[in-house]
Amino acid sequence: MADLLFLYTSIATLFGIYAILALSFNLEYGYAGQPNLGKVFFFSIGAYVAGILVAHGTAALTGYTGDLFTAQAANARLLYAAANPGTILSFFIGALALAGLVGAGFGVLASYPALRLRGDFLAIVLIAVGEVGRVFVRVYTPLAGGNIGIGGVPSPFVFLGDREARVAFSVLVLLLALGTFLFASRLSNSPLGRLLKSVRDDELASNVFGKRTPWVKAQILAVGSGIAAIAGVLWAFWFQTVAADDFIPQLTFLVVAMVLLGGAGNHRGVLVGAITMTVLDHVTRPSFYAILGFEANLAFDINYLRYILIGLMIILILMFRPGGLLPEKPVRTPALDIARALRRPAPAADTLQAERTQPP
Amino acid sequence: MVDLAGPLLDSLLLGSLYTIMALGLTITYKVTKIPNFAHAEFVTVGSYAGIVAVNVWGRGLAEALLLAVAASAGTALLADELVFKPLFRRAATSLHLLVASIGVGLVVRYVLSILASAAGILSAKSDLLATTLVSVGPGANLTTLHLWIPAATASAVVALHVLFTRTRIGKGMRAMASNFDLARVSGIPTARVRRITWILAGGLAGVAGTFWSVYAPTDPEVGWRALLWTFAASILGGFVSVSGTIAGGYIVGASESFGITILNSEFGISASYKPMIALVIIVAVFLIRPTGFAGLTVRDVLDGLRKFPGRTVARVKSLFASRG
Repeated sequence: MADLLFLYTSIATLFGIYAILALSFNLEYGYAGQPNLGKVFFFSIGAYVAGILVAHGTAALTGYTGDLFTAQAANARLLYAAANPGTILSFFIGALALAGLVGAGFGVLASYPALRLRGDFLAIVLIAVGEVGRVFVRVYTPLAGGNIGIGGVPSPFVFLGDREARVAFSVLVLLLALGTFLFASRLSNSPLGRLLKSVRDDELASNVFGKRTPWVKAQILAVGSGIAAIAGVLWAFWFQTVAADDFIPQLTFLVVAMVLLGGAGNHRGVLVGAITMTVLDHVTRPSFYAILGFEANLAFDINYLRYILIGLMIILILMFRPGGLLPEKPVRTPALDIARALRRPAPAADTLQAERTQPP
Repeated sequence: MVDLAGPLLDSLLLGSLYTIMALGLTITYKVTKIPNFAHAEFVTVGSYAGIVAVNVWGRGLAEALLLAVAASAGTALLADELVFKPLFRRAATSLHLLVASIGVGLVVRYVLSILASAAGILSAKSDLLATTLVSVGPGANLTTLHLWIPAATASAVVALHVLFTRTRIGKGMRAMASNFDLARVSGIPTARVRRITWILAGGLAGVAGTFWSVYAPTDPEVGWRALLWTFAASILGGFVSVSGTIAGGYIVGASESFGITILNSEFGISASYKPMIALVIIVAVFLIRPTGFAGLTVRDVLDGLRKFPGRTVARVKSLFASRG
């Protein structure tokens, strides 16, 4: 019997990570209209913060001075983690916080081109930034092991045992995704959220009303990139390795497909898009068939199917349902509810009047 | 002192290739307003078509070019008819068109990967070999490729010039580029001009792809890797100026081959950092002058040099200035 727990935890965790990423892209693109197609770059920043912190941190604690990126070093890290679970847990928490800050910092930097460029040109620059970031990390080996990457990033719940650690990590990721969803919903229904939409719909008009749109863009790119970096930390601790070629632009396009499928500017829709694409992502991976216990025997790499599906999904949504499955809805604020509540008694008073004027 | 003969030959060859690719990108952007990321895949299609013609069917360069042009132009036309034209009809934003072109690119690239795996040519190099004519130094050979590619680029440029200045279709393209609605009410057959634009862009990509397959090994990512440089060249031309794009292509080719040779020998920087140069060009053009070379005069250059430092400081200050 195939171990289905492995599959369930895998789907749950990847759904959580993708949902966090897609929500952050939705804040930037769906609400503020800034197409951050360098999403994978900010995501990889988080993963590298986690990998570097663990690799260099454990080396400093154990006094290890050899090559950090060999299989032996990775094994040594896993053994160290089993012996010192508290240290790894604090590394994990530290990486989450640090990645949020570093990602936000890079997000502010990304807002500089956003000041001067229209949507499509900004997208070109950010795609280029993401791709070049990957090339840089792959070539510059001392920091993060280049193409081989950082192996042996241990699970933070290593003290629970193997299966329990997987479950605990999945639950944690889902909770963080829920937290991101609540945070994003609150943010987009706040005055800042309405300001974001005004920047998206008519930047000149919001300028005229005295809003500092450059600062708004810097803020939202900082928030979105910080969130994406946190998702990157989760990715690193889940897959236990960080390698440069995990962060190809196709990952960004997967996230774009999620947001477009669900509906840009609608957080619930984005969650629907994330779960759909996560399932698609799983059924086109060789590991999925390995878990189910049969071997997919194809003449080509099954991963190709995934990218064809992503591309088709993007094209079909844009052509037939540009608003997504759950299109954007009007802003809901307490003020609107109060206004409705005040208006409701009015017809009641009318009927009262009508009754009164009726002859007895 | 480094030997610069090799980089000089390389920059001639690469510059010509990037120019052919960037011309197609610029033309489609001008006429249809799509920043077409699928252009990379048109090049890859041409590359594989060249390999099929030479390696599988045992034909020569002329047949390879013919097949590649037909395949790439067909792909480009199909992409427009199936995806871009319907989107354009419902007035999609240019960002949506860009995302759609990424989608088209993904589909074409990976369908091609599957076909190439099935045919066993997933990673292949054309059997057509460039023969060395003159050896200038170690690793610097003047090959027939160094003659073919610039010749192809030059004839493409001349043909485009004639097209844009002497023919109705070319003038129609220019009219559509400057004002689509006015062009349509003036009786220009916009649908036909649009189709010819895509065939032209795809054909240019096919030519470039065939030469890539002779110059370097082909894999499904060959177009994508060149795309960054192609975009850099087009952006140097401001995405609208044909002469600016040609200048951009050669500048990009030269900065790739010279830049990395000099960085490597003088500062010991690995040649793998090459793509950083393209990024620096793209970002620098967008930040300094988003219109690139289009409409640039000597006076603009002098003015820009005088005002640039002050302006940049003011811009950064304005970002963090207090509300008021």
